[in-house]
Amino acid sequence: MIVGQQKPIEELWGMLKDFKKIMVFGCNTCVAVCHAGGAKEAEITASLLRIRAAEEGVEMNIEHGACERQCEPEFFMPSIEKFKAQDVILSTACGVGVNLMSSQIGDMPVYPGLNTSFYGAVPQAGVFTEVCGGCGNCVLHLTGGICPIVRCSKSLLNGPCGGTNNGKCEISSEVDCAWYLIVERMKKLGTLEKLFEIQPPKNWGTATAGGPRKIVIEHIAELEEKEENKATVEVKK
Amino acid sequence: MATVAEAPGKEAASMPVSTPISTIEKPNEVPTNWQPNIIAFACHYCAFAAADLAGVMRLTYPTGIKVIRMPCTGKLDHIYVLRAFEKGVDGVFVAG
Repeated sequence: MIVGQQKPIEELWGMLKDFKKIMVFGCNTCVAVCHAGGAKEAEITASLLRIRAAEEGVEMNIEHGACERQCEPEFFMPSIEKFKAQDVILSTACGVGVNLMSSQIGDMPVYPGLNTSFYGAVPQAGVFTEVCGGCGNCVLHLTGGICPIVRCSKSLLNGPCGGTNNGKCEISSEVDCAWYLIVERMKKLGTLEKLFEIQPPKNWGTATAGGPRKIVIEHIAELEEKEENKATVEVKK
Repeated sequence: MATVAEAPGKEAASMPVSTPISTIEKPNEVPTNWQPNIIAFACHYCAFAAADLAGVMRLTYPTGIKVIRMPCTGKLDHIYVLRAFEKGVDGVFVAG
């Protein structure tokens, strides 16, 4: 899932202090799981901003709301009338939600309430770890299910490097050496010989180095377009 | 377990609009006859039962304290505390 962290209230106040009508809008999917931007956190953020406004002696109308997923218009468009009554929307979704809302709800500014951090796992409640870089060209079958792209500090495809130190990375004694984990894991799986195969330089064109990525499933996209056209024709009739 | 949180910027209402936050955070002098409004969230199984017992024993406490019974203080959400402050309480007492 996508892991985010709330921006400090001081930073949010700096963004919002000149607006009068604010809607803090949460997303109940990934960022709710990481206790950063769900309906609950949106309400808390709204309350903290109201308290801050009272402290500053500024009159503001701060509302809150949420939808199940801000990364799809179907979920937030039903609230469009509420958005139109505001001066600004503070979205506590990930950056995807902020981008999409911003492009869909007209001239209304949409500001980020979170710092979107990474694609993470939840190994235990309250702990979120980065385990996938979304590079668009997965190599986990070659590395015992441990991603060398984000879990190795140098993103090495042929590790470990000389900085591995009793299973830890040279950047910090608290960071596991991914290549140590890979070797240990592949020993257990009996697939260590796979590591003798040297991996060629990675094509980063499938990652962000190749520009913004887009995937279209044609038959679904076409079906959607046809449905929309049909609806438009029916309305015209 | 019992914790007391103080209202943020309780003094803010009497401050001029342009007062910087650093000034607001300095504690003001408390008038001698001032009574705080405290909201107490009490667990049904311990603190609320204790308050009940205190009542039976005819013990008294200031009228500025309002007790809310909770099934468990685990039910207390951040927003309950924030809403209480927004509505103007001076302190929140959580006992459980």
